[in-house]
Amino acid sequence: MNNESIQFIGEHILAGKAGNFFIVLSFVASFIAAVFYFFAHKNPLDASWLKMARLSFYAHSIGVFGIVGTLFYMLANHYYEYAYIWQHSSNIMPMRYIFSCFWEGQEGSFLLWTIWHVIIGNILIRTSKNYEAPVMMVVSLVQVFLASMLLGVVILGTKVGSNPFLLLREHPDFMNFPFVKSPTYLAKLDGRGLNPLLQNYWMTIHPPTLFLGFALTLVPFAYALAGAWKKDYSGWQKAALPWTFTGIAILGIGVLMGGAWAYEALSFGGFWAWDPVENASLVPWIVLVGAGHVMIVNKNKSGSLFTTYFLSVLSFILVLYSTFLTRSGILGDSSVHAFTDLGMEKQLLLYLLAFIFLAIVLIIKNKNSAFLYSVLTATLFLSVFAFNIFPSYLLITWGVLSLTAGVAAFVLYFPKDAAEEDLWSREFWLFIGTLVLFVSATTISIFTSIPIFNKLFGNKTAAYTIAQYNTWEIPFAIIILALIAVTQFFKYKKTDTALFWKNIRLSLLVSILFSGVCSSALYFFKAYTLAPEQQKANYITYSILLFVGVFAVFANATYWVKILKGKIKSAGASIAHIGFAMVMIGALVSTSKKNTLSHNSSKKSVEMLGKEYSNQKSILLTQGDTLPMGAYYVNYKGKVQEGINILFQVEYFKQLPDGKKVKEFDLFPRIQLNERMGNAFEPDTRHFIDNDIYTHVTYAESPENNRSSASGYSEPQNNVIHVGDTLFASNSFIILDSLTTNRDEYGKKDSTIVVTAVLKAYDIEKKIHKAYPKYILHKNQVNPEEAEIKELGLKFIFWKINPESGSVEINLSENKSNQKDFIVLEAYMFPYINILWMGCIIMFLGTLLAVWQRIKILKKSGE
Amino acid sequence: MKKTHIIGIIIIAIAIGALIATLGSTSTYADFTEAMANPDTEYHVVGKLDKAIPTEYNPGINPDEFVFHMVDNKGIEKKVVLHKNKPQDFERSEQIVLIGKMKGEEFHAHEILMKCPSKYNDTKNPVATN
Repeated sequence: MNNESIQFIGEHILAGKAGNFFIVLSFVASFIAAVFYFFAHKNPLDASWLKMARLSFYAHSIGVFGIVGTLFYMLANHYYEYAYIWQHSSNIMPMRYIFSCFWEGQEGSFLLWTIWHVIIGNILIRTSKNYEAPVMMVVSLVQVFLASMLLGVVILGTKVGSNPFLLLREHPDFMNFPFVKSPTYLAKLDGRGLNPLLQNYWMTIHPPTLFLGFALTLVPFAYALAGAWKKDYSGWQKAALPWTFTGIAILGIGVLMGGAWAYEALSFGGFWAWDPVENASLVPWIVLVGAGHVMIVNKNKSGSLFTTYFLSVLSFILVLYSTFLTRSGILGDSSVHAFTDLGMEKQLLLYLLAFIFLAIVLIIKNKNSAFLYSVLTATLFLSVFAFNIFPSYLLITWGVLSLTAGVAAFVLYFPKDAAEEDLWSREFWLFIGTLVLFVSATTISIFTSIPIFNKLFGNKTAAYTIAQYNTWEIPFAIIILALIAVTQFFKYKKTDTALFWKNIRLSLLVSILFSGVCSSALYFFKAYTLAPEQQKANYITYSILLFVGVFAVFANATYWVKILKGKIKSAGASIAHIGFAMVMIGALVSTSKKNTLSHNSSKKSVEMLGKEYSNQKSILLTQGDTLPMGAYYVNYKGKVQEGINILFQVEYFKQLPDGKKVKEFDLFPRIQLNERMGNAFEPDTRHFIDNDIYTHVTYAESPENNRSSASGYSEPQNNVIHVGDTLFASNSFIILDSLTTNRDEYGKKDSTIVVTAVLKAYDIEKKIHKAYPKYILHKNQVNPEEAEIKELGLKFIFWKINPESGSVEINLSENKSNQKDFIVLEAYMFPYINILWMGCIIMFLGTLLAVWQRIKILKKSGE
Repeated sequence: MKKTHIIGIIIIAIAIGALIATLGSTSTYADFTEAMANPDTEYHVVGKLDKAIPTEYNPGINPDEFVFHMVDNKGIEKKVVLHKNKPQDFERSEQIVLIGKMKGEEFHAHEILMKCPSKYNDTKNPVATN
């Protein structure tokens, strides 16, 4: 094959060259920036190092913006000669999805991450003052790694990165397509387009928010490493604190946005499914929350320096780990939306290990030990790269080694506070809360990592179910909410117990009363007596969770009103805590009281198989039938196709006292015709203030089947009837009016007896259609003559007479197009789910308010 | 020793204890032979749909019952009763993971995960428009 000899027409080679130039620029410049920042830190008196380092980082920034700009330019102009453009966009796709196309692929999502780092890096250059050199060195180093993910070169037989500017005809996956051999292939080429599942506004807003959240975890990480490098174990925290809480706000809203997307557009049947991809972004958030709170402790009393270092580092490491989990394809069966494997898992794993190494080696203050640890790590890395071996025992050995080194460094070199915290002090309970958060994050990580453990140790453990996760995490949530309620009422160092009780007793009392009333209504009246044993224990747990949730809301409101005197400026923390408690209350009530509206009348019980088994949660709706469902009556009106979506119109009625049914609303659950990914169902939800009605089609005759089988007659149904009896067809009813016989033929030899059935078919408009099927007996042979009613698509065969009973037998077959369309539906009611969404917004705004306040204080103290 | 350390150690010890206890009782991946040996234990069984035997789905009778035959990775075939609606695109699935248990000669599943052909690995030629 010799591509060079072919002149391809219409290709825009220059754009790709520009893109590749920017990739190389961003990679090289970030590397140079890291080196210069290293020397700037070593030679603080020589300002030229810092100047050069900044220039390099600016060059890196230009490179990254250049890559992004080039890729957008290519997408906007449909340059399908580039594989990435061809894979992720198409001519018919509306331009508003251009952002979604941009970050649909792995390369694009790495770019999104990179560009946030660039923006954050440029802010840090302006704000980090004497921390600039070490902090920016870490940032630049991270950028070296991220930029290399786009290189797409082969080093020592290992492919490093995946280049977004690869030509389609040079892409290893597509270069053998026959059509790319034609010089004019571009003239007719259209892109494969954006996966229709991702063509919605969530895909436009969710990834950038989440990646900004991920990018923000870099700041506390970089500051923590910088602090360790400078041997300044507490100084870095003041500057990192507002960044950390900005990260908490953004990452938190990003994670919850993922939940909202799943709830609105995917068919999980809820907003949180403990999917590995969801967990992978939740866990860094939990750890970041822990890190932020110990930073607050350290502002007042430097007692948990190591904890702060550890958690700040861990949050970023977990972001890398989650990238590894979701991008390496290792999750395979256990996740619905893991990215596909681009063969970069080795590279991702090495980055993860490299930054763990960096975080440990920087706190080993003994030069010889640090050197020894570096040599051992380097050996492992080389063996992976040069000999291409990646045995799990090597990985486990290195893990144990790193853990030992980390613990030893903590014991030997970290400054520790000898003073004992008082039981009645805020720092004590903040610390306990952080510990609980950490343990909770660890358990979620362990469960999510089961596929990894299976791979490392050869186990066959199955992935955890939603119920198992819930059982585990609810106790942690209870402790955290209780701590959220009380901790602000403690003072640093020592609290006056009498005052503490005086301040908190009202909200405690109100919470007991309020949550007592609510949980009796929700869990203990009718529900409790009907519930099986297992469920009763759950109800008690839910009531406790509800109580601490309500307590957290009231206590923080009290704190704001009584202690802070209602001042909005300093209320950020209280507001954020109220928001978090509302998220938990909303999640609890809407999930535990999630009510299945759809039922079927199947009498076969499967309960004896176990509590997970149920065969009554779907309902069959035939077009035109109205069935009761919960407090409503539903009717399947029919379906329409809009573009790639088939919309099923489901009408909801309410019955008035006089028996009349009035239409309340329509829902349009849909099926998306998706050739590449398989047809996908999308639910539709009606939102009310106090509940949501969620409707989801789980099965429908696929449109292809429907069309091919629409002609011809179905299997005949036999009917034994007398004169005057009625037959039922799907579109009419038919009365056997009379039977007539050609009597004159009686008794003759070789006679033919003909009995004619007179059938009167009444259609929906009561119009009468007649049919005359004939029973013909000739020489003891029955030869029926069929009759058809073409307008109604009915066919009759009169084939038997039973003289003893006086009945006749008539076969009825219907044209298949008569058969009514049907759908299988699941419908749920989620009560009070709006508390959850309101809580999200309140938590987000409260956290940002607290950040704004911190920045103001920081600026004041800096002057 | 500080109070925080003591409480910390207690919390972590409880968590580790509970972890070990639950990890032991967690369901595991298995094949039909193993599931048959322990009829009331829940397993995840991986296999492929046997396309030669027709599937049964009569939503008019029960929309939450779907019957098909699956061959596990060891080649053993069993009748499967899924107590759910028939999944969309079921026939297109390349691989099936069932969660459930054996009851007599039938495997009763309450959950199903399907792996469909991936959009990246398909070798289909693109459709050229005119």
